[in-house]
Amino acid sequence: MPIKVTVVGLLKNYTEGKSNFELPTGLTVNQIIKDLKIPNELVAGVFINDRAEPKDYLPSDGDTVKLIAVIGGGCQEE
Amino acid sequence: MRLYADSTKCSGCRACLVACSLNLFQENNPKKAALNLIPHFPDPGVFEMKVCTQCGECAEACPTGAIHQDERGVYYVAFDECTLCETCVPACPEGVMFVRTELANTAWKCNLCSDCVKVCGTDVLRIAE
Amino acid sequence: MNGYADTIVRVDLTTGKVSKEPTPDKLKMDFIGGRGFGAYYLFSEVPAKTEPLSPANKVIISTGPLSGLMIPGAGKMDWTTKSPLTGGYASSSLGGMMTAELKYAGIDSLIIEGKSEKPVYLFIENDKIEIRDAAQFWGKGCFEVEQEMKHLFGEEFQIAVIGPGGENGVLFGSVNHDYGRQAGRGGIGTVLGYKKLKAIAVHGTNEIKVADLEAYRKAGMDLFKACKDAEGLKPWQSYGTTIVTSWCDEVGALPTRNYTSGSFEGGKTLYGPVMRDQIVITDKGCFGCPSPCGKYSHMKKYNTRVEGPEYETIGMLGSNLGISNIEDVAEANRLCDDLGIDTISTGSVIGWAIECYEKGILTKEQTDGMELKFGDPEMVLTMIKKIAKREGLGDLLSQGVKKAAKKIGKGSEKFAIHVKGMEQSAYATHAATAMLLAYMTCDVGAHHNRAWAITYDLQVGRAKVTPEKVEKVIWFQNFRPMFDVFGSCRLQWVELSIDRDLYCPALEAITGVHRDWKELEKVGERIWNLTRLYWLREVEGFDRNWDMPPERFYTEPPTSGATKGQITKLADVNILLDMYYDQRGWTHEGAPTPETLSRLGISEFAL
Repeated sequence: MPIKVTVVGLLKNYTEGKSNFELPTGLTVNQIIKDLKIPNELVAGVFINDRAEPKDYLPSDGDTVKLIAVIGGGCQEE
Repeated sequence: MRLYADSTKCSGCRACLVACSLNLFQENNPKKAALNLIPHFPDPGVFEMKVCTQCGECAEACPTGAIHQDERGVYYVAFDECTLCETCVPACPEGVMFVRTELANTAWKCNLCSDCVKVCGTDVLRIAE
Repeated sequence: MNGYADTIVRVDLTTGKVSKEPTPDKLKMDFIGGRGFGAYYLFSEVPAKTEPLSPANKVIISTGPLSGLMIPGAGKMDWTTKSPLTGGYASSSLGGMMTAELKYAGIDSLIIEGKSEKPVYLFIENDKIEIRDAAQFWGKGCFEVEQEMKHLFGEEFQIAVIGPGGENGVLFGSVNHDYGRQAGRGGIGTVLGYKKLKAIAVHGTNEIKVADLEAYRKAGMDLFKACKDAEGLKPWQSYGTTIVTSWCDEVGALPTRNYTSGSFEGGKTLYGPVMRDQIVITDKGCFGCPSPCGKYSHMKKYNTRVEGPEYETIGMLGSNLGISNIEDVAEANRLCDDLGIDTISTGSVIGWAIECYEKGILTKEQTDGMELKFGDPEMVLTMIKKIAKREGLGDLLSQGVKKAAKKIGKGSEKFAIHVKGMEQSAYATHAATAMLLAYMTCDVGAHHNRAWAITYDLQVGRAKVTPEKVEKVIWFQNFRPMFDVFGSCRLQWVELSIDRDLYCPALEAITGVHRDWKELEKVGERIWNLTRLYWLREVEGFDRNWDMPPERFYTEPPTSGATKGQITKLADVNILLDMYYDQRGWTHEGAPTPETLSRLGISEFAL
């Protein structure tokens, strides 16, 4: 089962507004961030099935992965 | 059909209470809500949420028959029929029959409007059979 | 009514008189509520150059038009006064249940005036407002007093209480409420301690009327739905502000050993998930909040409980002091809360003292025979108690880092990390120019919650010095504090990224006044300029030097961590400040020009 990745808030600026991705297992979160072309240091929180994990975590089959920047609401220009 | 409450998820925010009083009385006044939030602080530091289970004990106890059932089978108080005898209050096993004459001229209880469920952010409340 | 209680209550502790007046319509239009009311009354009614610890100072406690209503996070209350710590504007935001209860009691703002001869507390139950003897409570810790009062008066009463710290004149005395929420910064608890007001107990059973009931219910439900649909909701509920601890460590923003670095090698055991697993029992929320960030915790090591620690406290009493055990930080947090002193200022001043000792600037004679070193939780717990009692070295530290450094001298001012006398909160800004500017220009001193710009700094380039960065900081400053004006929390917008336009129909349905965010930001700008005028009026010789950052941030690049070798140049600091003044419509000494005041409709306050 693929991993379901959700890109939240301002990080969507780097994925052309797209928030949901399905990716194969075998990639660490760092690799996922790199593949999605998101600047790594903007990713403040990584949540696997809503539980915080470090960026070198290797998601398993069917896991949900959420990538969150801090103050996501604050950085889009009005 | 009735409300279920998972107290372990309750954060004590009282959004449910405001939503309830708004529906029941069209007033922003959480003291006129039909759920019973009991904080246990500072020790152990948890919240307890009591809700109406639609058991019907209140209706059985009411001497004036002021507590009816609607088309869903949900028990509610007909405000204009209540005589404030307060017999229903101790009859309720959950402590969610309310009489506070400084706030209202009637007993009140949950009418399963579901507004509390809509505002609860931590999945404490749900409606099911 | 339209969302307001329509009553301002004045309590004169000198005469014992309580009086009420209607909330002025002009105030509602021009300043809206909450923090806006606080700024207005502070400027208008506390005479120029009043001593903060004198009867003429006032504490203005204000709800806002959203407080107590079916709006996410409708539980914030503003406490404003002239700060004994900084000598300027102090405003602190208190969460919990107090603002709602005060609204139901029929009060928009409560203005505490004068000074009582004996310790008293204020008892408010709807129309009944009494000043009562507090002899049985004076000297006791905040948790004990809150519990006692709830037993005496009833669980429905909401209690705000100061601790021994405020009573004893620690300059960063806090106000405590709901077993874990504070109006923490700027010494508001100190002013109340001076006035001998130990606590305020409130019970309100009235309703709050709004302009359009059905439109308000719809707007409120839309806001709740937006929060519940937010992707970031569950993570935020689980970790609250501790979500950022690991990231701040990663990007060099975690204050470490008195801000000598932005990363802490012992940091991993302070991170959010470790904290949650080790100590958190309950996710505790403020009034109406669907995204409870409060983390009520039980520390097995001490068998005590605390709401917290928040990120700020983890930074200031953890990494800033070289402490890596979260239970030690939580216990330090609990002591500060119970004794009624601000965790941020406390952590900062202890960090400064440790560095002084390491450098031989403070000797064992001056430290009551104690060794001061980083990574010593027992010393920290002892020191917190000494500060609250103003005992030994605690007396010096109780004055805050600016005054303490001035007294000790010997170069210790160089590492007193404050702006305007307010200790910097928990973001190290060696290499983050927007956040640096935010701290430099924050209206209460070096506090982070007006403009939080670290992600932005990373997005566009840490060291960049551009008009866009300045524009961003100013936009944050005009916008974010508006939530303090509404009497509700900003974190649903900040952390859940809900659409801020959802607030406009809610505000209109409640108050009957249509306002878009452009107009609301103008109110924010108005308040910002008024409080700037306040500093100019109150502080002799207030000029751009008061906006300068701690020297450390342009002279001492960290020798380790994510920002190793990075530092902002002094020249860039000045460029940023000049751009800031230009964009704000201020002179190059930092004073709002007559044109700016006129544009904002506050020429009447010109000095």
